[in-house]
Amino acid sequence: MKILIAVKQVAALDEDFEIRADEKDVDEDFLLYDLNEWDDFSLEEAMKIKESSDSEVEVVVVSIGPDRVDESLRKCLAKGADRAIRVWDDSIEGSDAIAIGKILAAVAKKEAPDLVFAGVQSSDHSYASTGISTAAYLNWPHAAVVADFKYQPGASQAVVRRELEGGMLQEVEINCPAVLTIQLGINKPRYASLRGIKQAAAKPIEELSLADVGLSTGDVGAGNSMSRVRRMYIPEKGRAEMIEGSLAEQAAKIIQIINEFKGA
Amino acid sequence: MNNPKEITRVLFENFQPQAIYLFYAIGYVAIAVFIYGVYVQLRKYRRGKSDGSWNDLLHRFIDMAKTMVSHRTLVRRDKSAGRAHGLIFFGFVLLFIGTSTITLEYDILRPLFGVQFWYGNFYLLFSLVLDLAGIGLIVGLIYMMYRRKWLNLPKLDYKRVDRQVGDPDFDRNQYRREDWAFLWSFILIGVTGFVLEATRLVWLSGRPEVWDYRIWSPVGALLAQLMQLIGLTAEGASNLRVGLWWFHGLLSLTFIACIPYTKIKHIFTAATSLMFKDPLAGKRLPRVPDEQKTAGYKTITDLTWKNLLHLDACTKCGRCQEACPANAVGAPLSPRDVILSLREFANHALSAKEIPKEAELDIHGKDIGQVFMETLWSCRTCLACVEICPVAVEHVPIIVQMRRNLVEAGEMEPLLEKTLQTIHKTGNSFGESKRKRAAWAKELPFEIKDARKEPVDVLWFVGDYASFDPRNQKVTQSFARLMHHAGVNFGLLFEAELNAGNDVRRVGEEGLYELLASSNIGTIQSCDFKSIVTTDPHSFNTIRNEYPDFGGKFEIEHYTTKVKQLIESGQIKLKKKLDYRVTFHDPCHLGRYNKGYDAPRDVLKLLGCELVEMARNRDNSFCCGAGGGRIWIPDPVGIEKPSANRMKEAGQIEGLQVFVVSCPKDLTMFEDALKTSGFEGKFIVRELIELIDECIEYEAWEGLPQAV
Ligand code: SF4
Ligand code: SF4
Repeated sequence: MKILIAVKQVAALDEDFEIRADEKDVDEDFLLYDLNEWDDFSLEEAMKIKESSDSEVEVVVVSIGPDRVDESLRKCLAKGADRAIRVWDDSIEGSDAIAIGKILAAVAKKEAPDLVFAGVQSSDHSYASTGISTAAYLNWPHAAVVADFKYQPGASQAVVRRELEGGMLQEVEINCPAVLTIQLGINKPRYASLRGIKQAAAKPIEELSLADVGLSTGDVGAGNSMSRVRRMYIPEKGRAEMIEGSLAEQAAKIIQIINEFKGA
Repeated sequence: MNNPKEITRVLFENFQPQAIYLFYAIGYVAIAVFIYGVYVQLRKYRRGKSDGSWNDLLHRFIDMAKTMVSHRTLVRRDKSAGRAHGLIFFGFVLLFIGTSTITLEYDILRPLFGVQFWYGNFYLLFSLVLDLAGIGLIVGLIYMMYRRKWLNLPKLDYKRVDRQVGDPDFDRNQYRREDWAFLWSFILIGVTGFVLEATRLVWLSGRPEVWDYRIWSPVGALLAQLMQLIGLTAEGASNLRVGLWWFHGLLSLTFIACIPYTKIKHIFTAATSLMFKDPLAGKRLPRVPDEQKTAGYKTITDLTWKNLLHLDACTKCGRCQEACPANAVGAPLSPRDVILSLREFANHALSAKEIPKEAELDIHGKDIGQVFMETLWSCRTCLACVEICPVAVEHVPIIVQMRRNLVEAGEMEPLLEKTLQTIHKTGNSFGESKRKRAAWAKELPFEIKDARKEPVDVLWFVGDYASFDPRNQKVTQSFARLMHHAGVNFGLLFEAELNAGNDVRRVGEEGLYELLASSNIGTIQSCDFKSIVTTDPHSFNTIRNEYPDFGGKFEIEHYTTKVKQLIESGQIKLKKKLDYRVTFHDPCHLGRYNKGYDAPRDVLKLLGCELVEMARNRDNSFCCGAGGGRIWIPDPVGIEKPSANRMKEAGQIEGLQVFVVSCPKDLTMFEDALKTSGFEGKFIVRELIELIDECIEYEAWEGLPQAV
C-alpha cells in the first residue's frame, strides 16, 4: 500500500521584518523556513502505519515549491519517508490553496495512493483548505481535523476520530482511498537528527514539472486562482492607556477622553 | 662461618618425588587456567571496535609506570586508602619478584646452566626484604578490611541509585562477597607464608646455617620463638609444615588461576587502562566517521576495545560516584554503576564462544546490565568522574556515545528536542534572530569592529549566553568596555557567529554539532586576526580542543588569562583595591576541562580580594548543574539542584561577601540558586568581570547604559 503526504515549507517571521515593496508579502530576507508543524504529525502517523504493518507500505511526501523546499523534504526523508516529490514551475507562484489542491490532486492521480494525508492547516497562511480541495479535485471522501486514526493496511475502510468544537470527538468510518487532514497532538513526532537529514541527502528528490502531472500554466498561478492577495500589512495597534490618580482625577480624565472622541 | 652456599632456603627437602610431581602438575593446571582466562578476556576486547590509541607506546608505558610507582592517583582525595593500597601493591610486587627469583634459579638457571645465586648475603637480604614486604601486605589488607567493615563509607556501598529495592541487581551483594573473599584469601596467603617460615625455622633449628641467620627473616624468627615457647618440637614443626605448605601452595596457585576471572584482574586491566589513558578524554569527544550509518553506541559491540578494557579496570572504589554532582543530588546516576552495568553486560555477552544475536546486545533499556535513559540524561558531563578515577576510566565519552544513540532514536526530553530544533533553525539556543546577536553592543558609547570586514588583533567569540541572556549582556558590555579601555584592537563576528556547539555535542547531537562547528570554523577562517578570546568556558573548550578535529586550529584564550595579562602589562590600571571576602567557583569547562585554575585566582588577588576556598575547589569543583545540555532540560522538582548544593557549601564560609564566577551559565545558575536556597542578602554572586569593572576608573563618556 501507499500513503501520500502533502507537506509544506512554511515561513516564520524574523524579528523586525519588513513588508515587500509591492505590499503583497513579507520581504523574503526576513523569513525563516521550516517544515509546517502539522506535517510532522501526518508524517509520523504514516510512519506508524508503515512500521506496524507486516506488508510493504510506501510513504511518499510531496510538496509544491521552489528549490529551498528540498531541505524540508530531506527532513521527511530523514524521518523515514521512502520517496519525496517536489513539483514546481515559476508560474505556480501566487496560487491560492485551491489551486495548490489541484496540483496535489494531479500528483495523487499519478501516484494512486491508498491514503492522502495533509496537515489541518499551514502555520503561515492558515487557509486550512489545501487538503480539502485536494479531496474535492480527486472526488475522494475526506475527513478533516483527524485526532485519532485506526487502519489496517490494505483495508477498504478506516475509522477516524475528528475533533469538534468544545472538546467533542466524532468517530467516522471512511472509505478508502481518502484524504485526511491531520491535527496536532495525534501522535508524538520523532526527532530528525541532523546526521539523519544529512544522510537523507543521498535519497533522490523527484522533481516534477506541471506537464509531468498533466497540468499547464493555465491551471495555476494567481491569475487562475479563485482568490488573490491584495495587500499584506501590519494593522495599527489599538491604544491602551493606564489612567492614574485619585478616583476623582480618574473620572475627570475619562470624561475628557469621551469628550475628545465625541468632538472628533 | 658457614659456607655461604649453605645459607639458603630449603625448597622441597623431605618431599616424596611424587609429591613434587603433583605440585608441579597442579601448578601447570593453574597456569593453564590462568592463560585460558586471559585468552577469553582478550577475545572479549577484540570484539570491540578499533581505537587509535596505539601511538607513543613507550611514552604511555613510562607515564603508567610513574603513576603506579608514585600511587599518585590513589592517594588523591583518600590518603589512607591510597597508602594502604601502596603497602599491598608494593608488598605483592616484591613477593612476586621474590617467588619469580626462586623459580628463575631453581627451575631454569640451575638445571639448564648450573648458575646459582640464591644463597649467602643475597639470600639473606632477599629474606629480609620479603619479610618486610609480607608485613606491608598484611597491614595494608587489614586496613582495607577495617575500612570495609567499620568506616561505613558511602562510596563503598554498592547499592544502586538507579534501581529499586528488590531489583535483581539492586544491591550487588556478589561484589561485596568477592571483595571479602579476595581480602581473606590474600591475607591468608600472607599469614600462612609467615607461619610456614616459622615452622621451617623451628624444624631446622638444629642447623646453624639456618638458625643462626634467622634474624634476617625477623617475623618468621619471632613466630618461631613463640612456637618454641609453647613447646613445638622440631619434629612437630616438620609435620605441621607439610600440611601448611600444601595449604599455602594450593591457595597461592588458586589465587593465580583466579586472576582473569575475578577482581584480581585489575592488576593487569588497571595498569593497561592507565597506559591507554587519553589526556583529552571527554574534552575532545570522538568524531563519528562519515561513512558510519548510525551514530553512537547502541550495542555492546559498538564500544571500542579500549572502552571494554576500561570497564574491566574499574575497581569499584566509588571515587567517581562521590565526585558526581548528579549523584550528590539524588539523580539516578552513578558513573561507577554505568561502568559496572556495561561490564556485567560485556562479560555476559562477549565472553561466550559465539557473540549472541544483535537484538541481545542492546545496552539501552531496563534489564540487568542495561543503562537507563534517565541515567544517561542525568549526566552533566562535568568530567569530575574522569578526573578522579585512579585507573583512568573514561566515563564521559561512553555516556555521550550512548546519548548519541538516544538522540538518533529521539529518546530525549521534549524541551531538549525543541532546543535542538531551535538551534538548528536560528543558530542559537535562545531562538532569537541572528540579527540580534550583537544587539547588546548597540548600547555602547563606542563602535565594535566587525572582524569579518576589517583585520583585528583579537577576535571575540561571545557565545549564546553572553549574547542573549539579559543579565549576562551587562557583563558582556562591561567586558567590551574593558577591552576598549585597554586599547585592545578587537572585533566580533556579529550575526555570523553560531552557537559554538560544545553543549550540543555533549548532548549527543553530533550532526548538529558538525554543522555549527564547520560553519563557525569557516567564518573564523575568513577573518584576519591573531587570537580569539571568549568569556564563555563552553565555547572556549570546544574551539580549543574540538575544532582542530574539523580543521579549525586557532589560538584561543579565556578572558581570565587575557585580563591577567592586561593588568600585569599595565594596559589596565586598577585605581582601587577591593577588600571583599570572596570565594571562587571553578567552571568545569575552564577548570577541569582546560586547567585554567590559576588565572582567575591571580586576578582576584590583583584586585585585592581575600579569597577563601570552598572545600570542593579546583579539580574537585562541583558542577553548577548546567553542563552537558542540562541547562536545556528542566531539573526534576523535589530534589535538590546541584547549584543549590553549591550555595550551601559557599554559605559555610564565614563572612563571605561575593561568590565569584567566570562563566555566563554559572552566573545564571547561581544567581537563581542564591534566591531559591535562602542565601539572598547574605552574599552576592558576581562575574569576575564585574569586580574588575569596579576597580577601573572610566571616563564619563565610557559609561554604560545600565551599568551595575
Ligand atoms: S561527568 Fe559529572 S555528572 Fe556525568 S557522570 Fe561524571 S561526574 Fe557525574
Ligand atoms: S570508575 Fe574509577 S573512580 Fe569509579 S569506581 Fe571505578 S575505579 Fe573507582
